[in-house]
Amino acid sequence: MTAAVATLVIGVILGYLGQRSRMCFVGGIRDFILVRDGYLLKGLIAFGLTAWLAFPLVGLFGGARPGPFGASEVATVVFTILGGFGVGYFSTLANGCPLRQHVLAAQGVRSSIAYLVGFFAGAVIFHTWTAPLLFRLLP
Amino acid sequence: MATTVTLPTGAISKPAAAVRVTAVQMGIVAGVLAVAAGALFEVRPPEAYGVCMACHGRDLVNWTLNVVAGTHLTVAPASLVFPVVTTIGVLLGAVLGAATSGEFRWWSPESSWKAFMYGMLVMNFALVAGGCSIRLLLRTAAGEALGLIGFGGMVAGVILGTFWLRWRATR
Repeated sequence: MTAAVATLVIGVILGYLGQRSRMCFVGGIRDFILVRDGYLLKGLIAFGLTAWLAFPLVGLFGGARPGPFGASEVATVVFTILGGFGVGYFSTLANGCPLRQHVLAAQGVRSSIAYLVGFFAGAVIFHTWTAPLLFRLLP
Repeated sequence: MATTVTLPTGAISKPAAAVRVTAVQMGIVAGVLAVAAGALFEVRPPEAYGVCMACHGRDLVNWTLNVVAGTHLTVAPASLVFPVVTTIGVLLGAVLGAATSGEFRWWSPESSWKAFMYGMLVMNFALVAGGCSIRLLLRTAAGEALGLIGFGGMVAGVILGTFWLRWRATR
């Protein structure tokens, strides 16, 4: 229950700040390449640096973690690279990272609402079909 | 009479109440909150799970379906008893931001069908990688090698996607 209340409060704060700052976690790299605009990129770097400094402060060094499917090392690395690549590529085509799409949907952008419908349907599709399929592909 | 201020860009005028936040300020606050959520507010395990739009959305959807429809879809250990509701929070917060600044407006820059497909693809790839763009960076910051690998893959994807957008726009 603590986690639910905390994430609700944190979500409201992030949603509000994200709306006011137009923050996007893929848009920074895109804008920098396209028009050499570092506004969003600086936000991305600020997030990474802050988290990097804050983790040791709370005594929480992330250790090694089993892969998403408990798969072998090589398969996990390959899946993580491919997954990350897909996130970056399709988020760029969709005009924003998942956080930005949530914010846009709340601002009345209808295509972002459609994006979110696909997003949540995707979660069910992943655990119903994608994950078992990937499991079968593993050695 | 409503007082308005003119932004440095000149073209747009907004209600004086509109709070201005920069991306850097947002990034710093998000970084602190993401770490605090995991360390202080039980948003774990897994580690570095404080903020993730994909995993938290998955948890909420799957947990709700499990309760309502009796399915057995996967949720993260952090969401077993009650799900993390970052998704709802972000939507509420963004509505608040849009409403107080007069930026709420119904429009659609893209075909809904395409956006639906993008959403589905991003969610699937994010769950394969173990995090959306935010959590991949958060895991990297936590010192997790796989997080860095995933984040590297994401940066490569964004770069290729951007070049593809530019190529399509110029041809």
